Amino acid sequence: MKVAISYPPIVNARGQVAMVSQNRNVQYFKIPTFLLPIVHAQAATWLRDLGCEVRWDDGNAQRKSFETWYEELVAWRPDVVVFESTTPVMKFYWRLVGRLKNDLPKTVVIMTGYHSMRQPEETLRACAVDVVVQSNHVDFVLRRLLPYLGEQADWRTACTIEGLFIRVDENVWRSTGTFKRVEDLNLSPDIDRDLVSWRRYAFENGNFLRTPGTYATSVIRDCTFGKCTFCRYNGPDLTFSVRSVERSLDEYQRLIEEYGVREIFDDSGVWYRGEQARAFARGILDRGLHRRGCYFGFNTRFGYMDEETVALLAKANFRFVLVGLEAADEETLLRLHKGYLPHQAYRNLEVFTRYGLHPHLTIMVGYYWQTAAQLELTVRTVRDLMLKGLARTLQVTLCTPLDFTPYHLECQEAGVLLTDDYDAFDMSKLIVRTPIPHEAYYQAIRDLYGVATDPRFVARQLRYLTSGRARDWEFLFRYGWRALRRVRNHVYNLTSNG
Amino acid sequence: MEGTLRHFVQSVRPLTDATFVIRIDRHGFRALPGQHVTLGPHRSATNREYSLYSSPEAPYLEFLIRARPGSETACALQRAQPGDEVDLAGPYGDFLIERPADPGRRYLFVATGAGIAPFHCFVRSYPSLDYRLLHGVATLADRYEREAYAPGRYVACVSREDGGEYRGRVTDYLREHPVETDRLCYLCGHSAMVARVYDQLREQGVPSDNLLTETFF
Repeated sequence: MKVAISYPPIVNARGQVAMVSQNRNVQYFKIPTFLLPIVHAQAATWLRDLGCEVRWDDGNAQRKSFETWYEELVAWRPDVVVFESTTPVMKFYWRLVGRLKNDLPKTVVIMTGYHSMRQPEETLRACAVDVVVQSNHVDFVLRRLLPYLGEQADWRTACTIEGLFIRVDENVWRSTGTFKRVEDLNLSPDIDRDLVSWRRYAFENGNFLRTPGTYATSVIRDCTFGKCTFCRYNGPDLTFSVRSVERSLDEYQRLIEEYGVREIFDDSGVWYRGEQARAFARGILDRGLHRRGCYFGFNTRFGYMDEETVALLAKANFRFVLVGLEAADEETLLRLHKGYLPHQAYRNLEVFTRYGLHPHLTIMVGYYWQTAAQLELTVRTVRDLMLKGLARTLQVTLCTPLDFTPYHLECQEAGVLLTDDYDAFDMSKLIVRTPIPHEAYYQAIRDLYGVATDPRFVARQLRYLTSGRARDWEFLFRYGWRALRRVRNHVYNLTSNG
Repeated sequence: MEGTLRHFVQSVRPLTDATFVIRIDRHGFRALPGQHVTLGPHRSATNREYSLYSSPEAPYLEFLIRARPGSETACALQRAQPGDEVDLAGPYGDFLIERPADPGRRYLFVATGAGIAPFHCFVRSYPSLDYRLLHGVATLADRYEREAYAPGRYVACVSREDGGEYRGRVTDYLREHPVETDRLCYLCGHSAMVARVYDQLREQGVPSDNLLTETFF
């Protein structure tokens, strides 16, 4: 069976390319940012191991034009094509599926992703797709489904593998029931890095201080907490699954020793905490991987890392900590169900930086309730954190309701959505009614990113050089110019459409 | 009511060396049975998720907690004294019984260790519930407050000692006692147990729509 796992190049009117970014968001960028789709890469590996002929078909990372990508895919004549969709590119995918089914009528097209899993019938109505996967465990579902497709001619009516919507004929489809929420991630294979051409993703990524960098195979898929209302990893249909520490350590060792990876970031969900995090750090130390010139990083929540754990992680050469601040006012944190208070963010950042870690804050602006005072507090707090050295880098986005997350549903219920055109959900402009003019939020983005050129911020980076830590030198002299280039790009993307 | 409020510890009731029930004042907090909160000592840098153990109608809030070695939050809460302040946020979650009053509806609850907390909350909140509760524990002492459950409904699956209702794991018990396929099955606890029991119940014919899962570790 020939299976293509495909990411088509999608170019907007401004010549920007739609790229999957953090948290499976799709944003349009001029400067490339290539993130390896971890779960789909595990699926590709697993299907190859089962004997499928797998085509890892990321047209973006392969820097193809759309037409080249499309023609090559059609010429390959796959039996199955798998796509990953999200709100701002749904309409594109619906058109694409129509064209593909026209050119390859016998090919089974499978849609995955957080938008269509919540609204499967919408996609079945809107295009000729054959199967919509409702599970976030795409690797597990495809591993069960594809051998079945190959063996059962009557799969459309007979298949009982849960978590699918299957087209029976043009106007009829059926559900196979709720999917399995908790999977044993130890069963899913380590990503075959050669199969997915890992080096294409190893350099153009703002989160890597050293390159080549890479993302680890899912350690915790989705989120242990899973309650933040804006996040895809939230909803009654989702929980988290976990991989064993030993298994994960084995992969890190292999990435360093066989592939020469110099920075490993785990962003497949919120990373280990507590005893598992400490066991992981001890494992890195026991195996001597902390002395191999490779930094490690992870995504966490405020409230998850105690000082003992952070100290161990620092000893094990952990550097990058991505953590969602989102806002600095208590009301917004409560409404977003963040599960912590502002003071906890300060306490956690103090601990991270005390041990030399580099916290990276993610912030959003433009919540439909966000007042001028709340916005100003967020800008002031974040600038204060950056200037005090409690955070090293930041990333600001416009809070955009997406993929039928609780925040998306809340915006619909509150009647604050200014459009229902999915093309407009691309995070390039605010699409909710807000209590103050949208320009105020765009200005806040400029102010937040502007901290990078504040002399006090630069002076602090210079002071860090006395620490004697290589990472501080690298941060200023190697990473600095790259970061400024990306900052200009982000500010343009987020503020020029208003 | 959602939010973060200041609450004060009323008592800490030890159940074993490592496991305890912390009781705090309600302070207007409202939740549905099966929901959880984040809880931590006041102004601490860390917190953790804990399911509500008491009935939401009780005049206090209780949480069943196991303090593993090195667990900063749980160990600090275990040491808490009456009057100490804690930070609580929530409630969160959808691990709920949608129609508890439905006549003829039967439930299977499967928990390991402190994963029994939401089931304790369910049976306190809905006394007429027709349920069977399987509790996977290592020792007899881990059968936390089993007198809270109606006679014959609680089965402790004790893996390391004789003398309980059943010697072995919950998966062993389920293999010997297949489940009626119309039961609504709720699984809570360690993710490996949840994944294994889910597969077992599916193999026994329980539809996936009748399986609800909650994991915290």
